[in-house]
Amino acid sequence: MIRHLFRLIWNKKRAHTLLIVEIWASFMVLFGLSTLIVVNVRKYQEPLGFTYDNVWAVQLHNNQDTTDVASKLLRIIQRVRTYPAVESASGMGDNFPFSAYQNGSSITYKKHDVQADYYSTDDNFANTLGIAVPTGHWYRSADSVGKYRPVVINEQMRKELFAAENPLGKIVNDQYKIVGVIDNFKAKGEFMANRPALFELARANNTWINTILVRVKPGTDAAFEATMVKAIASQLPGWGVEVDYLTDSRKNQHNLVLVPIIIASIVCGFLLINVALGLFGVLNLSITRRRSEIGLRRAIGATGSGVSTQFVGETWVLATFAILIGLLLAVQFPLLNVFDLRVGVYVTAMGIAMLIIYLIVTLCALFPSRQAALIQPATALHEE
Amino acid sequence: MITNYIKIAWKVLMRHPVYTFITLFGISLTLTVLMVLTSFLDHLLGPHYPETKRDRSLYIMQMALRDSTQQGQSSGPMSFRFLTDNVKSLKTPERATICTFVNSSNAYVGSQKIKLNTKFTDADFWRVMDFTFIDGKPYTEQNIANGDYVVVINDDLRNQYFGRGEESVVGKPIEIENVRYRVIGVVKGSPFTRPFSYADVYFPYTTPRSNYQESGIRGNYISIILAKKSADIPAVQAEFQQRMDQIPLPITYYGAKYTTLELNAETYADNFLRPVLARDTGLRTILFGVIAFVLFMLLGLPAINLVNVNVSRIMERASEIGIRKAFGASVKTLVWQFIIENIFITFIGGVIALVLTGIVIHFINQSGWIAYADLTINLSVFIISLLVCLLFGFLSGVVPALRMSKLSIADALKA
Repeated sequence: MIRHLFRLIWNKKRAHTLLIVEIWASFMVLFGLSTLIVVNVRKYQEPLGFTYDNVWAVQLHNNQDTTDVASKLLRIIQRVRTYPAVESASGMGDNFPFSAYQNGSSITYKKHDVQADYYSTDDNFANTLGIAVPTGHWYRSADSVGKYRPVVINEQMRKELFAAENPLGKIVNDQYKIVGVIDNFKAKGEFMANRPALFELARANNTWINTILVRVKPGTDAAFEATMVKAIASQLPGWGVEVDYLTDSRKNQHNLVLVPIIIASIVCGFLLINVALGLFGVLNLSITRRRSEIGLRRAIGATGSGVSTQFVGETWVLATFAILIGLLLAVQFPLLNVFDLRVGVYVTAMGIAMLIIYLIVTLCALFPSRQAALIQPATALHEE
Repeated sequence: MITNYIKIAWKVLMRHPVYTFITLFGISLTLTVLMVLTSFLDHLLGPHYPETKRDRSLYIMQMALRDSTQQGQSSGPMSFRFLTDNVKSLKTPERATICTFVNSSNAYVGSQKIKLNTKFTDADFWRVMDFTFIDGKPYTEQNIANGDYVVVINDDLRNQYFGRGEESVVGKPIEIENVRYRVIGVVKGSPFTRPFSYADVYFPYTTPRSNYQESGIRGNYISIILAKKSADIPAVQAEFQQRMDQIPLPITYYGAKYTTLELNAETYADNFLRPVLARDTGLRTILFGVIAFVLFMLLGLPAINLVNVNVSRIMERASEIGIRKAFGASVKTLVWQFIIENIFITFIGGVIALVLTGIVIHFINQSGWIAYADLTINLSVFIISLLVCLLFGFLSGVVPALRMSKLSIADALKA
């Protein structure tokens, strides 16, 4: 039966070339789109590693004021902590969670290099963002005595740098001593890959600790924000103060990922509708044209469902030809390791694309086939 | 003759509503997508409110400094002083403005917070841009010289800060970052897709936090030069380039020594595309590859689809063709008939697409995805889409028509 169907389609390959091209193209588009979606869904499933509700990022710009910047910044952080509405406050650089900035650093241990995200923060950071420290502890100012600077790494970093070794107390880059390990830290939101990260205790004279992360009590509104901003501004004349809510910044980061996916989905949906309609039209016509053949088959005893199965089967064969060509190309991505993604991602994407194609093809074939099955042998043969 | 073909085409269309629907749906959907895209590009790149003089404007946005080893690089906007020295003094242009890019800030009204996008500009900004003043007037050189704390705001901020009252807000105080300013004018806002003109608040560059005093060559200012007419653009660019060549090198900035300085005055489209084009060629190839692929998908696939449907449809009319051939119609006549028929259908699709585009554009303008969006179906977009219509009609008509013309009379009549 299947061999027979293949032969039927193969005999009319010229008439079906364009149809195959269309299905092939939609397979490729679907493959691309589902790769994108699978990658991001996988990323999304990994926990963020910190909480961001009720956390504000207060950015300070010193502008023309260049005297004593570091100590002024420290004083402001101290001041912010004294407000009753503030649960916790921590200073860090421009690369605060969900911001547009990113700092990278190469971390070496026993001649093994890892590219890591680098954050310079203070002792209140874990507390402010609700980060748990399962191994060791978050650094305290007291840790900075001696030759080495205390650092905390994340689980991903531990995996890539130490494998089975216990990282606590190890020295990396000849200057950092690891005092704690946290789980994930996906600073740019759920859609960010889980990357290695390293946190260093900021030195007291750092002038670029210009962002204060403030965790406020739930229900604190803009009225408090206005008071706080006013107080900071009066202490720091000439400085700029800008407050962002992390929930808003997170939305921006998400949009960066989601908007392209939405656009791609719309384009893809438009293509699929087009292809489906074309397929439907062509099938409908070819069945009308093959009335006499169907009539003959019915007359010699084929059942209605048998006839419709044949047409659906023929369409499947057509789709299979197209998908095989598509798979041949799609397989190159994991083989050549084009975008450095795991093989499982591609395989899942291929599966999804195949499934959708077969689904659409079946839906398009079903109605014309049903019509074909309803043809009465007597009328069909009479027309002939 | 043509009316006759069209009559036949109409009858054929009515005979098979399903195929007619499929064909028209494909054509109109494709054209709609295309027209919305063109209209969006036109919104981004065309001269629209308030940047109506884009055709004779040159944008100076990014200065790149490199050291001799090509290792160190520093790039970004320039300082106010550098631009005053090198741009304001140019002879060929009509005028030039120096302003910042968009910055953000907050204002508070009671327990409400308003997110603000701010811009520091000079007085010429209001002459380079064509803003509509709903209320009041722009600040002038006099205001700047006096160091007045005045601002121009857009209508959106006026509504949020002062409420939707009828009375004028000119002269009223507004507090931004704990500094009190006096509102001097209210403009109709510009969409954020035009970052050179878009902002909620415009400050004179002498107000606090503008950092216009910076002494180095880098800072946070950009410049827009207005040529007297668009034909002058090359002359202005040449003069600017000459000026750049005269800057003594190497330059020491923040302790680093830079031996090359790269700064161009570019037209809006160049400036818009440069971040993409200037990068390494690999990225450019990928980008153009993606664009070509998407275009092929958007245009090619529907075309293939139409050909598919048309081939089957025309073959169905084999007996009609056979009879016409038997009565002496030449292949040429037949091919023309089918092409005209197809162009006719395509134009119907085009009209539907025009209506659909109108609806989509209206929806985008109203939805607030882009505040102050002013997407329009303008003449150029309409002509482009008509041309595309024709191309489609031709593409989907020629192949089936040729196939059909090869049919022998006997075969055609038998079917």
